[in-house]
Amino acid sequence: MKHRLLVLQMATPVLAILFGMLSASVIILAIGRNPLDVYAVMVRFNLTRTDSLFSILFKTTPLIFAGLAVALSFRVSLFNIGVEGQYYIGAFCAALVGFSLRGLPAVLHLPLALLAAAGGAMVWALVPIVLKLRRGAHEVITTIMMNYIASALLLYLINDVFRDPTQIGTPRVRTPLVAAAARVPSLGPLLAPLGLHGSDVEKLNLLLPVGIVIAVILAYFLSRTRFGYEVRAVAFNPLAAEAAGIPNARVQFGMFMLSAGIAGLVGLNDILGFFGYLDIDFPKGLGFLGISVALLAKNNPLGVIPAALLFGFLDRGAAGVQFFARVPKEIIVILQALIILAIVVAYELLTRYVRTQRKREAELPVTATPAAEATGR
Amino acid sequence: MEYMTSLFSVALLASAIRVTMPILLASLGAVHAERGGVVNIGLEGIMIMGTFFGAVGAYAFDTRFPSLAQTWPNLAPLAGVLAAVAAGLLFGLIHALVTITFRVDQIISGVALNLLAGGLARFLNILLFEKATQSPGVRGFTPIDIPLLRDLPALRPLVTGVSPMIITGVVLVAVSQWVLRRTRFGLRLRAVGEYPLAADTLGVNVYHLRYAGVLLSGALAGMAGAYLAIEQARLYFEGMTQGRGFIALAAMIFGNWWPVGALGASALFGYFDALSLRVVRLPVPYQFINVLPHIVTILVLAGFVRRARMPAADGVPYTKEEE
Repeated sequence: MKHRLLVLQMATPVLAILFGMLSASVIILAIGRNPLDVYAVMVRFNLTRTDSLFSILFKTTPLIFAGLAVALSFRVSLFNIGVEGQYYIGAFCAALVGFSLRGLPAVLHLPLALLAAAGGAMVWALVPIVLKLRRGAHEVITTIMMNYIASALLLYLINDVFRDPTQIGTPRVRTPLVAAAARVPSLGPLLAPLGLHGSDVEKLNLLLPVGIVIAVILAYFLSRTRFGYEVRAVAFNPLAAEAAGIPNARVQFGMFMLSAGIAGLVGLNDILGFFGYLDIDFPKGLGFLGISVALLAKNNPLGVIPAALLFGFLDRGAAGVQFFARVPKEIIVILQALIILAIVVAYELLTRYVRTQRKREAELPVTATPAAEATGR
Repeated sequence: MEYMTSLFSVALLASAIRVTMPILLASLGAVHAERGGVVNIGLEGIMIMGTFFGAVGAYAFDTRFPSLAQTWPNLAPLAGVLAAVAAGLLFGLIHALVTITFRVDQIISGVALNLLAGGLARFLNILLFEKATQSPGVRGFTPIDIPLLRDLPALRPLVTGVSPMIITGVVLVAVSQWVLRRTRFGLRLRAVGEYPLAADTLGVNVYHLRYAGVLLSGALAGMAGAYLAIEQARLYFEGMTQGRGFIALAAMIFGNWWPVGALGASALFGYFDALSLRVVRLPVPYQFINVLPHIVTILVLAGFVRRARMPAADGVPYTKEEE
């Protein structure tokens, strides 16, 4: 029973991905294409080209941060839809520190920019979490509203207050350039001796290993420390946890702040790692993709890494599908949405199955003989 | 003084009424879903589908049946509205299936629907019109003048050249309010959202009623999208909903989960919207006017304006099995 359960748990995400691909196939068939060809083109495009591989890793980086941020809030039964707005604020704070301070050494300037990003996002997240814990305002709606406010605020700050004066009169609406000392170092120089070159290799930066390390630390933190235990207790049975002296509100607050702090780093892969300025058209929607990543990973920090890789893979594959199979690349967005729906339904069905199995086991007569057990009854 | 009157000019009010409609229709949808106990964050996505299929329906009718569309000019936009409502119903059905039958988290299903709608609209638009972001232009309904009221000179800009969909929307508010307050269906829907176990014990089918509430929300949000595409912009373009599906949720909350309240809140938000669209000399940047609805919603939820009273079982999946 235990082994079968483990196999089922591993198989569930795979089945859900297959179901999503199958449903997307119906759409591909409907427009008169062969889905197998389309998927084959995507896999070939993604796996046989060096630029694709590095592009996937570049796209994976922010998704690791976003996935971790959402997963942490889920772990204490909160739903941080506000990752989107929190990373807008984080990106702005990092850019502000990056372009307004000059002459600092990189060992000081970059950490300062990262701290500003995390700190700014945490301050932004104070509103929903304090209102939730103190006044019972539902965090889903308040964070959605905070996302819109963040978006409007950024529009104002980039366009009206901090717009690069040298760009006025051009269609480019963005902040001044970030100082070189605040840029995240590229992994390009490390990879060059391996014979890996090109712009996609250059784009890859230190934030990828940082994201992976954070995921590992969080996994340890949640499974092996006292706070991690309290987190599990609060999620599993808040009343029992409270009775055992674990302050629910404080644990939820801590995890939400952690979630927001990591959310603040989501945009930096693009802002400090690639562009070097905050443009009004900076990549958006990563916070929502983070929800998908967290769901696929079942809120496990280590699971976030492969889940983010899958979404990075699909994202890059979209370009290949459009260019080589001439199917609009939006088919991949549709596929991503279908995978999420399939995965949540699949996990729900699995939970139900486990529950009925447990019930059946509990109802089994205790007098079952060892011989009967051995035959698998 | 002149400045103050510019804030309440009749033209501004007329424009406010127009931009209120899509928020109001989607908000009425939200009221029905949540009164039955299902949160529908997917309203934004359903509205996107509504804008797209509204434009496609109207355009397709116009090109397929040109003679019919010539004789009865209202048929093409009507076809658009029906297509949008059908698309909304389909998305509502997905949300209902996932959240009521499979009891998946309602927020997650809504987020997925929003993602799906964005991708689907772009994908289909490329297939139909060979570009991702815009449909060809469509014709709207013939505007009508409201009899009697149109003879009052002061009100003329408000009551002449009115879209029939605006009148439909106002009628729908009254009907919804009556249905929820006075009819058997409405009372049962509310019971299912407040205390599903009690309703179930009395023989009310919780699942059916929740399906009905979510389907209604899909249809109304689809119609809201159709209004944006057919009556306001006269075409579909990407991102035209601008988060109005979420504003509609906000209006529902501010309106305390009642249709009439949703009307008041939508009108207020529509007024902010109209204000930011007009070049009225404002003492604050327009971005801040744009987020007033969002700020108000947070304050309402936090109980700073007045206590929000949501249906007790709102957002909680119902199961007959014992856990």
